[in-house]
Amino acid sequence: MSNQRKRNFQIEAFKQRVVVDPKYADKTWKILEHAIHEIYNHNASGLSFEELYRNAYNMVLHKFGEKLYTGLVTTMTFHLKEICKSIEEAQGGAFLELLNRKWNDHNKALQMIRDILMYMDRTYVPSLKKTHVHELGLHLWRDSVLHSSKVQTRLLDTLLDLVHKERTGEVIDRVLMRNVIKMFMDLGESVYQEDFEKPFLEASAEFYKVESQGFIESCDCGDYLKKAEKPLTEEVERVAHYLDAKSEAKITSVVEREMIANHVQRLVHMENSGLVNMLLNDKYEDMGRMYSLFRRVSNGLVTVRDVMTLHLREMGKQLVTDPEKSKDPVEFVQRLLDERDKYDKIINLAFSNDKTFQNALNSSFEYFLNLNTRSPEFISLFVDDKLRKGLKGVGEEDVDLILDKVMMLFRYLQEKDVFEKYYKQHLAKRLLSGKTVSDDAERNLIVKLKTECGYQFTSKLEGMFTDMKTSHDTLLGFYNSHPELSEGPTLVVQVLTTGSWPTQPTVQCNLPAEVSVLCEKFRSYYLGTHTGRRLSWQTNMGTADIKAVFGKSQRHELNVSTFQMCVLMLFNNSDRLSYKEIEQATEIPASDLKRCLQSMACVKGKNVLRKEPMSKDIGEEDSFIVNDRFTSKFYKVKIGTVVAQKETEPEKQETRQRVEEDRKPQIEAAIVRIMKSRRVLDHNNIIAEVIKQLQSRFLANPTEIKKRIESLIERDFLERDSTDRKLYRYLA
Amino acid sequence: MDRIDHLFKHYANRSSSHLIDPEGIEELCSNLEVPHTDVRILMLAWKMKAEKQGYFTLEEWRRALKAMRADTISKLKKALPELEKEVRRPSNFADFYVYAFRYCLTEEKQKSIDIETICQLLDIVLGSTFRAQVDYFVDYLKIQNDYKVINMDQWLGFYRFCNEISFPDMSNYNPELAWPLILDNFFEWMREKQA
Repeated sequence: MSNQRKRNFQIEAFKQRVVVDPKYADKTWKILEHAIHEIYNHNASGLSFEELYRNAYNMVLHKFGEKLYTGLVTTMTFHLKEICKSIEEAQGGAFLELLNRKWNDHNKALQMIRDILMYMDRTYVPSLKKTHVHELGLHLWRDSVLHSSKVQTRLLDTLLDLVHKERTGEVIDRVLMRNVIKMFMDLGESVYQEDFEKPFLEASAEFYKVESQGFIESCDCGDYLKKAEKPLTEEVERVAHYLDAKSEAKITSVVEREMIANHVQRLVHMENSGLVNMLLNDKYEDMGRMYSLFRRVSNGLVTVRDVMTLHLREMGKQLVTDPEKSKDPVEFVQRLLDERDKYDKIINLAFSNDKTFQNALNSSFEYFLNLNTRSPEFISLFVDDKLRKGLKGVGEEDVDLILDKVMMLFRYLQEKDVFEKYYKQHLAKRLLSGKTVSDDAERNLIVKLKTECGYQFTSKLEGMFTDMKTSHDTLLGFYNSHPELSEGPTLVVQVLTTGSWPTQPTVQCNLPAEVSVLCEKFRSYYLGTHTGRRLSWQTNMGTADIKAVFGKSQRHELNVSTFQMCVLMLFNNSDRLSYKEIEQATEIPASDLKRCLQSMACVKGKNVLRKEPMSKDIGEEDSFIVNDRFTSKFYKVKIGTVVAQKETEPEKQETRQRVEEDRKPQIEAAIVRIMKSRRVLDHNNIIAEVIKQLQSRFLANPTEIKKRIESLIERDFLERDSTDRKLYRYLA
Repeated sequence: MDRIDHLFKHYANRSSSHLIDPEGIEELCSNLEVPHTDVRILMLAWKMKAEKQGYFTLEEWRRALKAMRADTISKLKKALPELEKEVRRPSNFADFYVYAFRYCLTEEKQKSIDIETICQLLDIVLGSTFRAQVDYFVDYLKIQNDYKVINMDQWLGFYRFCNEISFPDMSNYNPELAWPLILDNFFEWMREKQA
C-alpha cells in the first residue's frame, strides 16, 4: 500500500467499499429536513451552515443522493403548499403584497438551501440529469403557488386591474408591480409570456379599442391625433417601470393598431377636420402629427399620400379648366406657382420632406397642368410679363428664384414644343420693341432652358439675341459711312435671320418718301457687305417716333407703329383724307388699316385724328382730319404698341396647326433614326421607342406615328416584312 | 407558233406599233364573248405577264397562248375556265392580286391608284370571294376624306384583312397592331355603324 516515495506523508482515500448504516441516511436526512423547515419558518439563524453542508455532502457521498433529492422536493412542496394557502386567504390589497413577500422569502430560502446542498447540486444532479436546486425551487413555486387555480386567476386579474386603474389616472404601487412581474420573468420567458404578457396585451387591446372608439366619436381629427399620441409615450414609460423590455415593441404595436391603424380611413376622411381640411388651411402641426403617427402603421402613409394626391388633382383640374381663371394668363400661372409653393411648404414642414410625397406632388401637377392645352402658351405669357415689367427692380437672386419656379412648371409640360413656339413669338416681340426689363434675366432663362432641353431647343433663341447685337453693329457702320445722314430722320434697323425668328408674313406698304429713301440707302449699304442675301422690310413690325404739333402750339412726340406713321405723314400734305384715299396712298391691307385708324381715332386719350362720322367702327366711307384739339398731359404719347396678347381663337388654331406640322418631320426623323440602328423592329416597339425619343418635346400620338410609318413605306424608306406583318424593315 | 402569231396579227393590225391596242382588246373580248371588264381578261393579262395596261405585245401574247395551248379563238375561249381555276389557286392568287394593282399604274413613277379605280378593281378581283368585305369597304372608301389614293401597302393590307379577320364582327381585329391606318379607320367606321 505504501510506495517508496520521497513524500513526507500521504493521505490516501479509502479504497474499500464502506457500507453505511441505512439508519445513518435517515438520521442525516431528518437533520436536513428539519433545517429546511426552520429556514422556511424564518429560524435559520440557529443553524450551522457547516454542519448542514457536511451532512448533505455525506449523504451524497454515501450514495444517498436520491433520497436527499426526493426529500428536498417533498419538503419544499409541502412548504409551498402552505404558503399558497396563506396567500389564497389574503384579503383585498394584501393579496399582492403577501404574494410578493412570500416570493421573496422563498427566494431567500432557496438560496440558503442551495448553498447547503451545493455538493449534491454539483455532482449528483448533473450526473443523473436532474434539475438544479435553484431551478427546481422556481419550478416548484410555479407549479404549487403560481399555477394553483385560486392564485393564478386572482393574480392576473389583480395585476390587470391595477394597470387599468393606472391607465385611467389612478396612482398605483409601481414598485410592487415591478417586483411581482419580475417574478414572472424570473420563472422563465415562457411563463412571463403565457401567464402575464399575453393576457396583458389582450386586455390592453380591449382597453384601447374602447378608448379610441370613444375619442373618434367625440373628437375632430386634430384632437384625436393629439389624444392618440399620449398612450404611445405612456405605455413605453410603463414598460420601463415595471415590465420586461421586450414587451415594449409588442404593446406599442397594440396601441398603434387600436388607436391608429383601425381608424386611418375614418380620420383621413373626417368631414371638416380631416386631411383635406388640414391641407386647405395649412395646419402644419396637425399634419405633422398625422404623418409621424401614421408612418408607424402599414398603409398609413400610403393613405395620406393618396388622399393628398386625389385632392391635388381635383383642385388642380378645377383650377385649370375653370374658364374664369383662364382669362388672365399671368394670374393663372401665378396661382399655380402659389399652389406649388404651398404644397412644397406643407411637405417640408409637416411631411418631413418625404420623397414619395414630393413625387406625388410632381405627378399631380404634371397631370392637371396638361389638362389645359393652353398651359404652354400661358406659361410663356407669364414669363413675358415678368420680363417686361414684373421683374423690374427685383434683385438678381430673386430673379433666379422666380425663373427656377417657372422652370419647375415647364418641366411638367408634355407639349414643350408648343411652349417653344410661343416663347419664340413673345421673345421676338420683346426684343424688337426693346421692352425687356433685364437682358441678364433673358439670358438666364435661356441658359436654364438649354440645361433642361438641350442645345437644339435654344439655338434659335440665341440666334435672335445674336441678330440684335449684329444689327446694332451694322447700324453703327451704316451711320459711320454716311455722315451726311446725321441730320434728318434717324433710322433704326434690326436685321433678322429668317430661320431664327418666328415666321411672319411680309407685308408691304408705301413708306413716306423721307423714310423710303433712308431705307434704300441702308439696303444698299447692307447688301454691299453681304452679297447674296435678300432683305425684305417687315413694315408690319416696325415703330416710329414722330414729332407733331396740334393746334397752334400743342407739341407732342408720338410713338406709333410703322403703319400709323404712314397714315399720319399723309396729313402733312392734306388736311382731310377719306378712308379710300388713305388706303390707296399707303397700300396697307384693309384689316390692318382699320385697326390702325381705330387706334388713332377712336381711343380716348389717343385720338390724334378725328373721324367723320364719329361712329365706333371704321367704315370705308369715313373721312379723317387731324385732331387740333388733341391734348395729353404727357409730351410723349404712345399709341398702340405691339404687345403679346393671349391669342384669339383663329390664331390659336393656326399656331396649333403649325405645331402639328412641325411634329411630323420630327416623328419621321425619329422613326428613321430608330430603324437605321435596329434594321428590323416590330410595330409596338417602334411606337414605344418613338414616344420615348420625343418625350422631352411632346407626347407623340400612336396614330400619327402610324401615319408617318406608312408615308415612309410609300417613299421606300421602310418595308413590311413579307411573312410577319408586324415587322418593319429598314431599306438602306 | 405560227397560228398563234397569226392570231396576234389579226388583232394587232389596226395599231402601227405591232401591239394589240385597246381597240384590239375590245375586239378580242367580244370574240371571246367575255365583257371587257371581266376578271378573266385581267387573268389573261397576268398569264401574259403583260406590262402595260391596255396593250399586249407579241411576246406576251405568245407566252400566254402557248402555256394555255390555245392557237385559235375557240380554243382560247375554252381554256378560260381552266385559267380561272389556276389563278384562284391560293399559291397564285396573292401574286395575281399584286399584279392587278401594278397593272393599273399607268404613269411612270406612279405609286398609287385613285379611289374610283380601286373600287372597281376590288370588285373585279375580290368581288366573288369576299363580297361583303368588298361592298362595305367600297362604301367606306367613297365616303371617307382622309385618302384620295390607295397605295400598294394599303392594297395588300386589305387582302390580308379579308383573309385573316372574321367579318362582319371583326372580333379579332386590333387597331393597335401594324394594320394600315386606313383599315383602322374602316374598322372604327364599321363599329360605329354596328352600334
